[in-house]
Amino acid sequence: MTRQKSLRSPWLRATNGISAGSRRRLGLVERSLAALAALAFGTAIAAGLPGLAPKLLPPEQAFRFSARVLDPATIEARFDVADGYYLYRDKLRFTAEPVQVLPVDLPRGQRKHDEFFGDVETYRGAVTVRLPLASAASGGTLVLHADSQGCADAGVCYPPNPQKLTLVVPANGAKPGPFVEAAPRGLFR
Amino acid sequence: MGAAVVGAAALAGGIAFYQHVETAAPRDGSAVLALVLPDVDGRQQSLSQWRGKVLVVNFWATWCAPCREEMPHFIAAQAKDGAKGLQFVGIAVDQVDKVRDFAQEIRLNYPALIGGLGAIELSKALGNELAALPFTIILDRGGGVVHTQLGPLKAAQLDALLDRLLTSP
Repeated sequence: MTRQKSLRSPWLRATNGISAGSRRRLGLVERSLAALAALAFGTAIAAGLPGLAPKLLPPEQAFRFSARVLDPATIEARFDVADGYYLYRDKLRFTAEPVQVLPVDLPRGQRKHDEFFGDVETYRGAVTVRLPLASAASGGTLVLHADSQGCADAGVCYPPNPQKLTLVVPANGAKPGPFVEAAPRGLFR
Repeated sequence: MGAAVVGAAALAGGIAFYQHVETAAPRDGSAVLALVLPDVDGRQQSLSQWRGKVLVVNFWATWCAPCREEMPHFIAAQAKDGAKGLQFVGIAVDQVDKVRDFAQEIRLNYPALIGGLGAIELSKALGNELAALPFTIILDRGGGVVHTQLGPLKAAQLDALLDRLLTSP
């Protein structure tokens, strides 16, 4: 009868799956316990242990702004609104320099009846908007500003939130450029 | 992997993220009482004039629907318990004209002050890092901050809080 002297603990032997004589797989009981522990842990956090309750997202994460060049005289702007948040259509504004943005056709949003303001339209999820430019911006850079105002379903609203990004407009505009994000995600965000 | 999914599902279970802080020992509210802000008629009002009251300072704006929705209950509470030393003060992060119009429309029975950068900085210092609305600070009669809340104050919750503060010496 051989025995691995370096692995005295049955638990170590089980996880290392070594010696056939004392090996056990992680059975149904162990997996269920692990699942229960994860559930309890997650619930405890969600129930709002002080300092651990889910937090309100910063506006640049709740309302991610990005844009790309479609052609030298057209920009495509995009908002990715996080789940549980929404933007007001009538508060969306785009300006740019050095080339001006012409009047924009904003897509229709979801109608929401507001007791004070009447019918307002809101955006959820991904929204793209075509921004026509007053003239071609070929071969230069364009700074695009977006002003937006939004709220969270949980009942909180943000102050007006200006964001900006810089686009490089290629000289010949053969095809649409890549999306540039106003607030790029960090590795660990 | 299954365990991780279950844990994540529990965490994501749609729990509201109101950050309310129930302080065991009241924090110093002198920064709140030191605020001086204009009212809708342009007159400067110092919050120190309400020292000694149970003061509910509510940051709001006309463009914030959840803010507007909780105000009728504040108005009712002000009418009912003003005589017992309850005082609401609204700080609107907003334009004067809009605040004045809305205040008239809902028959606001407590002061509406116009908050600028200073007021926003104060709300950040008291835990409202994102300067979101509504944000409410409650001071006891001794000028200590006993409660702060980001997000709407439900009627039952507010009533329970005020009951305790108004009946204590």
